[in-house]
Amino acid sequence: MAKHGTGQPSAAPDWRWVGERGVRVATGAATLARYDALMACNFPEIEDMIPADDSILLVLRRGAALPPALCEALHAPLPGVVACGGALHEIAVAYGGVAGPDLSVLARQAGLAVDDYVDRHAAVLYTVAFLGFQPGFPYLRDLPAALHARRRASPRLRVPAGSVAVGGAYTGIYPAAGPGGWRLIGRTDAALFDAAREAPALLRPGDRVRFVPK
Amino acid sequence: MLQAGLCDLVMDCGRPGRGALGVPAGGAADPDALAGGNRLVGNDADAAGLEIVQRGPILRFPRGAVLALTGAPFAARRSSGVPVARNETLALAPGETLYLDHARHGCRCWLAVRGGIAVSPLLGSRSTFLPGAFGGHTGRALRAGDCLALGVAAREVRLRRGRPPLRDAMAPLRVVAGPQAGQFDDAGLAAFFGGAYRVDAASDRRGVRLTGPAASHVCTELPSQGVLPGAVQVPPDGQPIILGWDGPVTGGYPVIATVIGADWPRLAQLRPGDAVRFATIGVAAALALALEDWDIRDLG
Repeated sequence: MAKHGTGQPSAAPDWRWVGERGVRVATGAATLARYDALMACNFPEIEDMIPADDSILLVLRRGAALPPALCEALHAPLPGVVACGGALHEIAVAYGGVAGPDLSVLARQAGLAVDDYVDRHAAVLYTVAFLGFQPGFPYLRDLPAALHARRRASPRLRVPAGSVAVGGAYTGIYPAAGPGGWRLIGRTDAALFDAAREAPALLRPGDRVRFVPK
Repeated sequence: MLQAGLCDLVMDCGRPGRGALGVPAGGAADPDALAGGNRLVGNDADAAGLEIVQRGPILRFPRGAVLALTGAPFAARRSSGVPVARNETLALAPGETLYLDHARHGCRCWLAVRGGIAVSPLLGSRSTFLPGAFGGHTGRALRAGDCLALGVAAREVRLRRGRPPLRDAMAPLRVVAGPQAGQFDDAGLAAFFGGAYRVDAASDRRGVRLTGPAASHVCTELPSQGVLPGAVQVPPDGQPIILGWDGPVTGGYPVIATVIGADWPRLAQLRPGDAVRFATIGVAAALALALEDWDIRDLG
């Protein structure tokens, strides 16, 4: 629970222990740039790094202490505005019907015709903020505020693979069938995750995504 | 495999380091127990074995095998009817059968086999990841009729006996508080740290679900953030879920506390109906407990 001082209070990132093997660092809008910078440090004490909403979880190897140079690395200046290096993906989606059982309700809640909701959803060039929840599940940032929707109070037991969904301020795609609480608006045939592929996740943090209605 | 158990999974030490892809580390629920078994049969610590839950399989070994069972005590016997001891090297003759029945107490045991189970690694591991249907034996639990090939052992075979670190199954699970303990009201914290919970039947490798006093809190949804196995998430209904080995790598529910690594072996042995209580410990004390090891000696 303790916040750790870092010697530079003005710029000190917020650290928090998460168990004895995890430290969560608040990284704000620079999360992906900080993630890349920390990856380049290659700290032997760190087993994994999980970027998420404005924070990174550093997972320590068993029995390892914090890397002595971590403080410095967290304060190191980041390269200025990074050019958009992410790949652009166009993903074909069948909106509505059995593929998107929540679309009409979401459109009504947003005060939009179904076609308008789809047009607005498909008009955005989204950025992959991070992957989580399931292997290869992208949290896509820049969903228009009018399309935001709360998750279901009780999750569905089985969401089909490829379901395109809205959860809070994000839109995302379920790579595999399983339980899920997001609102389903469509479905894609794109293979979001294949463990046997050279690059198992189709989308990487920083990539851009545009949905193309079928 | 002549008859499948409840859920027999090929497991090794897992695939850490892929959290950014949304892939949990997974692997044996008690990696030290699997590693201990591997040492008893002359394998490297990360060779793949079987993780067996509550009721075990019947396995025939056409060419014989050198085995070790670790983890929870299961009723186990060989073809002759002779019971099989836990935590020691066992040699089976060609054609012999191993019968694994119910866990006498606890939940999971590990079967290490000399040479290791030679399924192809995926993403750096032979572990089964059931939620994504990949890894292990074609991404699923084993079924009757499955045949598993064995690899080549790293070291010569010796008859050995091992002793795991002593653990008190009745003691509270030790947790480091936070990161969102501050979001819980006094009644919620008192309920969580003072209450006794029961393990729900819906528990699996993704999470151990608990029922008991509601750990009430004030937040509804938080930004998604990275989570570790052992994190105790509390959804709006106040019933805690301890994230398991195959749980998601990010979560949006408040985390009241995280079970320390030294108590993960006890998490692995919880089964539906078991009582669970929690007690806090500091980060430094938890780190000092992190590397308890097995005591393994040659027999005779």
